[in-house]
Amino acid sequence: MPLILPTAALVAVLARLGAAPILPQDTAQAEAKDSAKKKDKEKQKKPEDKGDDQEKARSQASRNPKPEYPSFRLDGDHPSVHLGKGTHLDFRGRFAADRTASDAASDDPVERSTIDLGKKRLGVSGEIANAVEFQIEAELSDTDPWRDVYGEFKSFDVARVRGGKFKIPFSLDENTGASRLDFMFRSLAATHLAPGRDQGVMVHGRVGKKLIGYEAGVFAHDGKNARTNNAAKVYAGQTQAVRVTVEPLRHVKDAIGGLSLGVALTRSDDIPEGVSALRGQTVLSQNFFTGSDYFVKGRRRRLGVEMEFRPGPASIKSEWMRVETDRQGQSVEDTDLSPIVGEGWYVSGTVAVTGEKKNTVHRPKKPLFQGGFGAIELAARLENLKFKSGSAAERPSRSPRADTIIGNGDQVTTVGVNWYINRFFKVQANFIKEKLDDPSQGPLPGQASFNTKAIRLQFSF
Amino acid sequence: MRTRPGIIATAAVGVLVALARPALAQTAAELFDQNTIQEIRLSVNSRDLATLRANTALNTYYTADLTWKSVKVRNVGIRSRGQGSRNPTKPGLRVDIARYTTGQTFVGLSTIILDNIWQDDALLRERLAFTLFEKMGEPAPRESFCRLFINNEYQGLYAITEEIDGAFARRVTGETDGTVFEYHWFADRQWRAEDLGDIARYKVLLEPRTHTLDADSTLYAPIQQLFKEVNGPDDAVWRSRVEQYIDLNQFMVHVGIEQFIADNDGLLGAQGMNNFYLYRFQGTQKHRLFVWDRDQSFLFLDSPLATSDSNVLFRRAMTQPDLRETYLTTLERCAQISAADDFLLLEIDRLIGIIHAAAVADTKKQFAGDPGRFDLAVDFLRSFAARRPAQVLGEVARIRKGA
Repeated sequence: MPLILPTAALVAVLARLGAAPILPQDTAQAEAKDSAKKKDKEKQKKPEDKGDDQEKARSQASRNPKPEYPSFRLDGDHPSVHLGKGTHLDFRGRFAADRTASDAASDDPVERSTIDLGKKRLGVSGEIANAVEFQIEAELSDTDPWRDVYGEFKSFDVARVRGGKFKIPFSLDENTGASRLDFMFRSLAATHLAPGRDQGVMVHGRVGKKLIGYEAGVFAHDGKNARTNNAAKVYAGQTQAVRVTVEPLRHVKDAIGGLSLGVALTRSDDIPEGVSALRGQTVLSQNFFTGSDYFVKGRRRRLGVEMEFRPGPASIKSEWMRVETDRQGQSVEDTDLSPIVGEGWYVSGTVAVTGEKKNTVHRPKKPLFQGGFGAIELAARLENLKFKSGSAAERPSRSPRADTIIGNGDQVTTVGVNWYINRFFKVQANFIKEKLDDPSQGPLPGQASFNTKAIRLQFSF
Repeated sequence: MRTRPGIIATAAVGVLVALARPALAQTAAELFDQNTIQEIRLSVNSRDLATLRANTALNTYYTADLTWKSVKVRNVGIRSRGQGSRNPTKPGLRVDIARYTTGQTFVGLSTIILDNIWQDDALLRERLAFTLFEKMGEPAPRESFCRLFINNEYQGLYAITEEIDGAFARRVTGETDGTVFEYHWFADRQWRAEDLGDIARYKVLLEPRTHTLDADSTLYAPIQQLFKEVNGPDDAVWRSRVEQYIDLNQFMVHVGIEQFIADNDGLLGAQGMNNFYLYRFQGTQKHRLFVWDRDQSFLFLDSPLATSDSNVLFRRAMTQPDLRETYLTTLERCAQISAADDFLLLEIDRLIGIIHAAAVADTKKQFAGDPGRFDLAVDFLRSFAARRPAQVLGEVARIRKGA
């Protein structure tokens, strides 16, 4: 209740703002990149250009009064308070209401069709003296509320240093901000195989004329996605992660779109002996892999490759990732078992039928009630997530100490429509068809395929 | 010297047969061969084994590989079992062959019991009792002795016991769809066939081993009705009504054998009924009993024969002349069979010949700290075998005279 009135007031103000200056992305990382790009452009300007600029600035200054601090601004992606040159505080928020109806929920008709009003995220981010960035964000409806809580020293573009709690650099989909997802739910592979957030320190930057981006960090554990609320289940200790992305078309004139290729690795040590917390779950988080009962111990290794191409109003994204978790000393003879393997991939595509470029589709040219009806984007995704053992030498068994386990896989097809009403409101509708390799381990034993319909109203700033 | 081709061919066939022999499929009949001692080996992760030993009161399953002769079965489930016999030193084990691998069997069996024979200082009481039940025409679980090794460490002398389940019922009754209930004894719920009333109270005591998905009303209404009639007020209709639900003749035979072997932990046990399975015949509401766990038999040489009891079913059955006669006849037959050609005595000696070395080497048995106890216990059994038949026959005669 205390949130409703201020939120409603903010919604009213923001809804009247209409189309604002277009920025490419609004995720924290994207903004950091944008800020860096502006600085690059300034640095790359020729001396004579700089002289012209100074002249222009003087002329501008004579026309415009010197900015006053502090000042409140609503023209960016986030409402912000500017406290001085290069020092500002941005307010961030995301509220979403979902309605889902699935064949694969329980027999309870109430559960088959649910409305989830639970996604309420608020936070602040900002910059101090153009040298330090920070972000603090919390999910208000979660028992573990803290999301991104970090600070970043950003003076050198080739090597920025970030510390705190944030997403481990693995998986394009997992590292896309929740408000910018093409679908209501992240891919199963990103949700269950990518590590997610953890506490750590990371160095990242762009080198080679910014063709190459890198992120390398050390984290306390291997992310929230590898944990459950069940304290008895085990997860990894210290985790090292490296992700390298290449943008081969970055400096190509007249390129039809941005292309990014990447590879990421993580290595996690010291998984104690116990039942792994990695889960195989359907889109609506129902277990389809009873392998969550298998014992593990040792190291966990992740490997991922990713690709993203954004030609004009369209985009194509694809990822493949694999997670191997050791089972040292877990056989009945105390010898090593073959690792538990989780493997997943997806291929997705979007096209904005109203013509906006992918980078700016979330800021429609003609918002609703401002001369248009917003932007419409069509999306489709094909994906697969499967779990198995590294060995297939013997008869598959459900035993927690079986060398050859009874694996399972979920193949998912999603089609959707995204309606960007204006830069703050978005409606997403998804139709999801899932098919399990072994339905006996899934939510509907004896039925391999099931459908889910879902719709989301999202308000974010 | 010339060698005949026929001899060469015969020799070649003989060699091939000999080579092929280890590969021949083993059978349940071989596993339960009572003329030898088997060797069972289990491989269990050391952490699981420590956890099992530390938590023998729990029924948690752990994975094991089981090896017997040339048969190796991977990923079976083992758990601690028993009531008074549960202990961390020499745990009794239930081996569920198909626990983790659907359809997996071991010599055609889906489960076996590795009985730790914990409470029997002679280590052969149950085998001896089951033999007498079988001699009397009462089905009993198949059972043989084995040396059990876990992770190559000798765990002692165990009995491999056939579990009473649907397969057992099929074997002994020929029926494929009867309902088997295992009776669970509770110290605070000692039951002597009183009418317990609500179905929920029977559900606690009698766990279905077949038809496990049937509704409670289907499973327990006939049992509820049985004990309602057992405790019915009208003696005139008691027999006809009760007999709709239980084979009274078989019940009296079962009690008669228990009385001969001086078992104090059976149907007329001092702590209420114990150690039996209830079986409902296929497509009927009628039941019979199967014998289970006889570690506490042959305990008292001069144990008096019951002619009445606080057990309602036995007490009222004894008021029926023909059922009383069945009971007494059973006692007489047990005595006659045991005494004939010193059958019981010779059976004890035969079994001792099979298990003696393994029993002596069993340092984990309950009375291992008392090295002479095993021999003393066996001597007592010999005395029992020698004296019990005459003692029972004499007492039966006195009962008849008293009648």
